[in-house]
Amino acid sequence: MVAPKKKQPTLSLIDELLAEQSLLQTPVARAAEAFDGTAVAERKTKIFADLIPLSAPQPGEQYAFQVDLDSCTGCKACVSACHSLNGLDENETWRDVGLVSSPDARRPFTQTITTACHHCADPACLNGCPVLAYEKDPITGIVRHLDDQCIGCSYCVLMCPYDVPKYNEARGIVRKCDMCHGRLSEGEAPACVQACPTQAISIVTVTTHVNGRLQADTSSFLAAAPDPSITLPTTRYVTKRVLPENLFAADAAVIEPQPPHWPLVAMLMLMPMAVGCGVADKILGLPTPVLGVCGWLAGAAGLALSVFHLGQPLRAWRVFLGLRKSWLSREAVIFGAWFGLATAYLAIRLGWLPLNYPPLRTALAAGTAALGMLGLFCSVMIYVDTKRDFWRFANTAPRFFGSAIVLGLASALAAPGAPRVLGVLLAGAVVLKLIAEARAIDRTIYDRDLPLTPARKTSLLLTRAPLRSVNELRIAAAGLGGILLPLMIAAGSIPVVAAWPGLLLVALGELAERYLFFRAVVAPKMPGANHA
Amino acid sequence: MTTALESLLRARTGPMTDDLVLHPGEFGLGRIPARLKPAATTNSVCGFCSTGCSLKIHLNERGEALNLSANPDYPVNLGMACPKGWEALTPLRAPDRATTPLLRNEQGELEPVDWERALLVFSGKFKEIQQRFGNDSVAYISTGQIVTEEMALLGALAKFGMGIKHGDGNTRQCMATSVVAYKQSFGFDAPPYTYADFEESDVIVLWGSNLCIAHPIMWQRVMRNRHSPGIIVIDPRVTETAQAATQHVALRPKSDLTLAYGLAHLLIARGAIKPEYIAAHTSGFAEFEKFVAEFTPGRVAGETGLAPEVLEALAAAIAAGKRVSFWWTMGVNQGHEATRTAQAIINLALMTGNMGRPGTGANSITGQCNAMGSRLFSNTTNLLGGHDFTNAAHREKIASVLGIPETTIPRENSLAYDQILDGIAEGKIRGLWVIATNTAHSWMSQGRARDLLASLDFLVVQDMYSTTETAQAAHLVLPAAGWGEKEGTFINSERRIGRAQKVARAPGQALSDFKIFQLIAHYWGCGAMFARWSSPETAFQILKQLSRGQPCDISGIRDYAHLEQAGGIQWPWPKSTGETGSQHPLGDNTPAIAERRLFADGKFFTTDGRAKFIFEAPRPAPEPPDAEFPFVLLTGRGTSSQWHTQTRTAKSAVLRKLYPEKIYAEVNPADATRLGLSAGDAVVIRSRRGSLTAAAFITATVQPGQVFLPMHYAETNQLTHWSVDPYSRQPSYKACAVSLSLSDR
Repeated sequence: MVAPKKKQPTLSLIDELLAEQSLLQTPVARAAEAFDGTAVAERKTKIFADLIPLSAPQPGEQYAFQVDLDSCTGCKACVSACHSLNGLDENETWRDVGLVSSPDARRPFTQTITTACHHCADPACLNGCPVLAYEKDPITGIVRHLDDQCIGCSYCVLMCPYDVPKYNEARGIVRKCDMCHGRLSEGEAPACVQACPTQAISIVTVTTHVNGRLQADTSSFLAAAPDPSITLPTTRYVTKRVLPENLFAADAAVIEPQPPHWPLVAMLMLMPMAVGCGVADKILGLPTPVLGVCGWLAGAAGLALSVFHLGQPLRAWRVFLGLRKSWLSREAVIFGAWFGLATAYLAIRLGWLPLNYPPLRTALAAGTAALGMLGLFCSVMIYVDTKRDFWRFANTAPRFFGSAIVLGLASALAAPGAPRVLGVLLAGAVVLKLIAEARAIDRTIYDRDLPLTPARKTSLLLTRAPLRSVNELRIAAAGLGGILLPLMIAAGSIPVVAAWPGLLLVALGELAERYLFFRAVVAPKMPGANHA
Repeated sequence: MTTALESLLRARTGPMTDDLVLHPGEFGLGRIPARLKPAATTNSVCGFCSTGCSLKIHLNERGEALNLSANPDYPVNLGMACPKGWEALTPLRAPDRATTPLLRNEQGELEPVDWERALLVFSGKFKEIQQRFGNDSVAYISTGQIVTEEMALLGALAKFGMGIKHGDGNTRQCMATSVVAYKQSFGFDAPPYTYADFEESDVIVLWGSNLCIAHPIMWQRVMRNRHSPGIIVIDPRVTETAQAATQHVALRPKSDLTLAYGLAHLLIARGAIKPEYIAAHTSGFAEFEKFVAEFTPGRVAGETGLAPEVLEALAAAIAAGKRVSFWWTMGVNQGHEATRTAQAIINLALMTGNMGRPGTGANSITGQCNAMGSRLFSNTTNLLGGHDFTNAAHREKIASVLGIPETTIPRENSLAYDQILDGIAEGKIRGLWVIATNTAHSWMSQGRARDLLASLDFLVVQDMYSTTETAQAAHLVLPAAGWGEKEGTFINSERRIGRAQKVARAPGQALSDFKIFQLIAHYWGCGAMFARWSSPETAFQILKQLSRGQPCDISGIRDYAHLEQAGGIQWPWPKSTGETGSQHPLGDNTPAIAERRLFADGKFFTTDGRAKFIFEAPRPAPEPPDAEFPFVLLTGRGTSSQWHTQTRTAKSAVLRKLYPEKIYAEVNPADATRLGLSAGDAVVIRSRRGSLTAAAFITATVQPGQVFLPMHYAETNQLTHWSVDPYSRQPSYKACAVSLSLSDR
């Protein structure tokens, strides 16, 4: 083939080789391997018999991953094999391999940690899901995600302390490890178990309930991993060695902002504003409907924007399903009801509905205000329930309710006929809110010798690039729009109309604060790898 | 009604759920998603490292690879693969594949051209240079990453067809030391072992080898050892393997040779040697014994930084072993006295009689998938088939097998890689053809290496990607098909010849290296000389003939189908009634035994049939730390998901998740405290040749005064020192002097 066929133009050799390059042998042409089901089944059984349980779990038991730390050397084949054998998307992985290390210089120690879903006895993902898109298999205990049920709200991503469920942008849903339940049910080992060259991963049966009550032994869970008491993870990390104390994750020093979730940032600025306006309207009893309109517009915009946070908004009608456990479900239902009441109230107030019966109007106003507060409380609890340090109640409630107060007051100040003294109240509220926010900044952040707790990491995030400038913007906007201008209005040194730019500045400040609320939180996760 | 309501409320099924539901995949695959169910499968040896794992490729009806899994029926990997193997198909789909030839235009940009133009320019430019500056002014750098048939055709074409004398391979960077060590000690470049030896040993000595990370599937074999073996790791760092070992010997960097001689001294002192074996099968022991007398524990302890008790324990463990195997990798091969170090390890195995029996041996673990193929058939250091360019009888034999005039075969050896680059500096080498390697990333003293490449009159790079650091410096880029897009064979670390299959179409105009060489032969005007090399499989038949009568005789292997049926075949596999009269020990019709080792009969390939004790006084490393550059820089493999210069592994999103994106430096906590470094801080590392900034990973796994950088990041070799072992001319990547400081950035 190298010698060109005579009297043909030389190009033909190139063409010939290009054509040959594009030829593939079809399966028919290949001596395709005959499939011998029995032999394969026997071989698999032989190899994996001691790596998966021979019988189904008894009541009070479930399946769990067991990782033999002494055998795991960090080859990471489990990650790739899971990806390939489960047909995951190109950049999707259901397993990860991290590293823990000892600070003891006299005993150098590192240990790779392979991690997938822990199939928790009390799964936070399941508890938080507003549409019941998670199921815990009643027999195997495998925590399964219902991909066609998921609305892509990502709340489970925030709820899981181990960073297990991952949002899949292209599909608009979350996906996660299902312990290869389809393999286990046929007596096959999960992909990671099959692929581990040193048989470090196996499936075992563990006890999760004693006398019908939730009681899981988490003593074989990993040091340097998030607190197992929240969700009772079932994975067992076993070793015959005595591991060094004070193990830390190789990525423990990594300080990176979390995703901003813009639709949520906007919604969580607008909903407090809506509630705050409604309450201010009720309390102040101003003759003008401006506050009511303002509140309703903010609420409508907030609710509309929240839809943009969903990967599968058309499935969101099921959001009431999780009412029993999910604060997100509760928030959605309550704000839904609130919007109905607020709309009815405003329609009556504006005379668009012929129902101007004062007791009804009062009841509607009170009901709207109360439901709004309740909705806001649910919003707070959505974040408190994640057990993330920065989102604890003492830090979240003042922010969300504080936003309602400052935005309500700022709106009221701009309303025609509002008393100028509101400016003093607004300035006071803003000062208090800024003080409350400042409490999140740990004063020890510059001491490099102290351990990097979540609180210190959040403080560093807030005071360093890239978030530092947003924090400065937040303070400047609040200072100018929420303190300086309102005080000047109250003092009568500038016209009341300055309250409008003041309101915009306050809203901008609250928006920035909410943005920082999402970005400066520290998300717990399993130990990651050294992360340059 | 309830069910209907229930299913309305909870969508347990649907298209998104179906996507992941597992169905029987058949072909022994167990259950897999329906959309991945193959129409057939075929097995192909992996194209990353030298372990030589077989991957089962899942094909659709059109014969295109859909997916892959590890082949459970191959004696090498027993159903396992490392993450690189699992992801082997992904790099083929990378968007930066070279899809047409690219020629640098007058604006200095690489511009697509057709093959005709590219080939005319290739021939025209190189011939012009040869006419002006002599034939030897054009050289080539080959690789351990292409199939044997391709490297043989390249070597034959370049040296016999194009009149090029100087051609070397990137295997110089990884295996040259073992080649020279084995050649001198055993009489032929013959790694004696089979992977089953990992399972048979009662003591496993891993010297300069981070097996867990670099060769995870070989570590699998260690873990399958049922004899509770002592596992001794000799390495300055507390690597993953060192932590899994029963004994870790953290010697001072590059004091290996002294340690080996000190061990020999202690073993002799203990009477832990096998005089009968030494007398029957070796030569030079008496001189060696005299030589190591000076390596007293006191001296060795001083020079290696090891406590005398550690030395004693090490000697005791080796002495107590009945089946001791010694394994080494780059920690030995990449050193300023690497060849002698490898031979010092060979000496330990010989003197203790740990050779030729199950679970023994002085065993070099190779790096690249086809380093062994390159060693035997690349026609660079050796004449094809492990022959000698300077031997007239060998030249005659090769000429007659190939049907070419003997006069076309060079009578002198080629320059080594470093000498070719030095030749560029001296103006002697003006044109360079680089195939499937990435000099501008991987060569030591990278700044100088890049300057040298930039000073060439004409640089041709033949690669899968147009984006490699070296391709970006080329005048002409030839687009090559990659592993999976072509046929051929690889030879793994244990001498096993395995088949690589074509299961994917190369993108655009990319062609297999074999076809590119065919085209070059044609355009150069020497096509007729290689007419017999019509396909990889016919080339394999030529290789069989070339190997006949050699220690690496493979003339008994029938064809590719035979390799597939046998699960790969280790060399030697001669035909029992060949013209050389060599007798196949087992007869032609014996099915290939899965695992075979060499030297069971104690006969070596030297002229007297004895293995030689070779030794030499240790020398200090070329660039010891000093006041200005007080740290020793160690380099090596980072993670099992990274491969060499990352031209392929960086193309997989999964693999990218499994290694740090940016360069990091491992620094001891004591040094970190002294320098004011905290975890993750940017640390500036300077050598006499350059500087880089890395994120500090503070860990006591490196000793104080040492710093470790993974080799996969392009910056690393900006620091390394240009020095080679004088015998193997293999670069000494693993020890140079650097300074560290906290970045003010």
